[in-house]
Amino acid sequence: MTDHCIELVNVTKTYRSGAGDKRKIALDNITLTIREGEYIGLIGMNGSGKSTLARLLNGLIKPTTGTVTVNGLDTGSPQQLMEIRRLVGMVFQNPDNQIVCPVVEEEIAFGPENLGLAVDEIKRRVDWALQIVGLKELKDHAPHLLSGGQKQKLAIASVLVMLPNYLIMDEPSSMLDPLGRKELLKHLRLLNKQNGITIIFISHNLEDLIQADRVVVLDKGSIYLQGTPRQVFADEAKLAAIGLEPPGLNCLINKLGQEGYDIDETIKTVPELVEAICQLSLI
Amino acid sequence: MKDVMLGRYIVGNSLIHRLDPRTKLISCTLIITAVLINYRWYFLLFYILLITMAIFSSGIKPKLIFRSLRKIRYLLLLTFVFQAILTTGHPLMQIGRLSVTQEGIALGTGTIFRLLIFYLCSNLLIMTTSTIKLAAGIESLLTPLTYLKIPVHHFSMIISTSLRFIPTFIEEANIITNAQKSRGAQFNSKNLITRLKSNIAIMIPLLAASLQRAEDLAMAMESRCYTGHPNQTRINKLNFNKKDVLLISFMLALLSVGVISSFI
Amino acid sequence: MSAIIDIKDLNFTYQPGSPYQRQALSNINFTLDPGEFLGIVGSNGSGKSTLVQHLNGLLSPTTGKVTVCGVDTTDKELRDQLWKQAGLVFQHPEQQLFEATIYEEVAYGPKNLRLSEAEVKSRVYDALEKVGLIPAETEQLAPITLSGGMRRRVAIAGILALQPRVLILDEPMAGLDSIGRNLMLDLIKNRQQKGNETTVMISHSLKDIWALADKIAVLDKGSLVFYGEVKELLGHTELLTRCHLELPDYLQVVCSLATRGLTVNTTIRSIKEAGLEITKLLQEV
Repeated sequence: MTDHCIELVNVTKTYRSGAGDKRKIALDNITLTIREGEYIGLIGMNGSGKSTLARLLNGLIKPTTGTVTVNGLDTGSPQQLMEIRRLVGMVFQNPDNQIVCPVVEEEIAFGPENLGLAVDEIKRRVDWALQIVGLKELKDHAPHLLSGGQKQKLAIASVLVMLPNYLIMDEPSSMLDPLGRKELLKHLRLLNKQNGITIIFISHNLEDLIQADRVVVLDKGSIYLQGTPRQVFADEAKLAAIGLEPPGLNCLINKLGQEGYDIDETIKTVPELVEAICQLSLI
Repeated sequence: MKDVMLGRYIVGNSLIHRLDPRTKLISCTLIITAVLINYRWYFLLFYILLITMAIFSSGIKPKLIFRSLRKIRYLLLLTFVFQAILTTGHPLMQIGRLSVTQEGIALGTGTIFRLLIFYLCSNLLIMTTSTIKLAAGIESLLTPLTYLKIPVHHFSMIISTSLRFIPTFIEEANIITNAQKSRGAQFNSKNLITRLKSNIAIMIPLLAASLQRAEDLAMAMESRCYTGHPNQTRINKLNFNKKDVLLISFMLALLSVGVISSFI
Repeated sequence: MSAIIDIKDLNFTYQPGSPYQRQALSNINFTLDPGEFLGIVGSNGSGKSTLVQHLNGLLSPTTGKVTVCGVDTTDKELRDQLWKQAGLVFQHPEQQLFEATIYEEVAYGPKNLRLSEAEVKSRVYDALEKVGLIPAETEQLAPITLSGGMRRRVAIAGILALQPRVLILDEPMAGLDSIGRNLMLDLIKNRQQKGNETTVMISHSLKDIWALADKIAVLDKGSLVFYGEVKELLGHTELLTRCHLELPDYLQVVCSLATRGLTVNTTIRSIKEAGLEITKLLQEV
């Protein structure tokens, strides 16, 4: 069905900048479809318009021209905003700034309370969300006592509890250490594969996007490149032109490829690459 | 700094801890009203004994509470001295042109006892009730005001988010203070201008961060369907049970005894 | 040459005697020579930030001794003056700006040193140039109008203008995009090439500091579990796994090749070097 997607058609977003009528273009004529079940990586430098794009997807802001529809609902229509925001959950960059309530459990219940669900239903969902992110033992804690990674999980649980179809993660890895980042990526993958939740992962670091189905590269408000991670990472020169670097492993593969060695581009892990190099050295 | 403000609540599972926060708030109010109306010495003494018993049964180290009394010792002393001197009546002692009166001493002692009761009462309340429950209790008690078109749920949202962000705010203030110290800010300089400037170096970044936080939070709340309408549901409902009813009835009875006996 | 940082049996406990007591650092020992670059790594909560606050006198040991630039930090008077010699750039320093113009912002530290007007000016200009900002074009701009990455550079200039003997950076790369990261790397490299400047940098990943560090300190739950030369760390794979640290992936590849008995040089510091090393290996065959 065509309805099961987020659709942006010729979307332009401009902001007033400074005094007078001068307007800054944040997004320039974007057309993009995000289908349910996809895992999308959205990448660009700071100021490339990726956060603006994210906020358009759940109607936090409206396009200047063009339309954004979520499963057929137009974000421009106020009556449908509630349902749109339930469908499209959003986790923001700084977990500290998005936690509303003084207790973990209440925090997770905040969304469902706003939806006006029955208490029993809320309790069941809160337990489920706590379970899924592994914060069950901490449900009576104050959020400020949690570690960065735990706050991030709390933020995710607070969104999952509304049973969204789409989950937008706006630069979630920038405050995490490598362990926290690894756990987060594993988690998102599970949510995508097992629960069928569409993931829209925004980052300025290509390494975060290895597990995406599709990577969309934004530059100066326009879509600059689009494709599977492998396709995007292989175009090192084009990425370098806008200041992006592929993950180290892909850089190495690209380099060896340029030297004329035949290395399989689908390689994703260190052992695979080591094996490939060993094979080459035996010839 | 963080613990001075938030370390008042001491985790426990005594009867007093388990009481509904509203019961404790109401009881405190009833006690304070009672001793404001009736300040006969035996009545005051009875309340002091009652509160002391409550403190012991709460499992909080009495030392902790009584030691904190030192903080208000000058207040108590001053109150006593002024009452003793300024009340007219039978002079007991003459100090220069001031005279200490019998009535003054009686009134002063009574006032000290009353202040003690206020202080112990509120301390016991704060030490046995977590801030969150306290806020929920206050909110619930204020609910009737909704009929007067006062937006209680907005206030309670404000209280609740403040509770959430005070620790974050303090943490941030500490970091900024240390960061500015690393650039030579002096908070104990003798020069007033330097000190002022050092404090500005903290206030401005703190304000900027708070504004940013408010903006982010508003966005996060909105994207989780918060509309500002009172929520229909709340998962953590407060529960009045038998012991709460009993305690409040007891406090009411005491108050009535106090009121009646003050007319006799 | 005597050490510029000398830490002996450092223990630090937050709020000793209160119910919130927490041991943040236990039994830390190390020395760092002038001109060296020390990278401190460890996961969040391992005590990295607590450790560096001992290096400029913001904190003093519960037990043990910390000497930085010859200053013993157990002495309160001396400790309070240490900021002049050991400049600490906090995490997200862009959030600590408060002046109306970039010039005033960078000049705040030097003014607190009570330097002459002319000296302040020359230091501000010098510091701005070091972080890649052209003084004449930027000095009158308001920090608020700049991007996050630019503001961070202004904040770092604010510490550089103190001309500290030791520069301490707490996660200077956090949250920057790759352009910002590369600028920051260049800035730090340039400083290092001067020779006698000591730098301490915290990072939660080895990737950021691999290209820079002479010495590496690994913290885990408040203990120093590794201290030594960068290349020595390669032999401690199980320690790295335990502390959830990963070598940069290009290095992992080269190291695995080496353990398979192939002749590759594992002292490489960048992807470029790794590429060269592997092509060399393949050509030899």
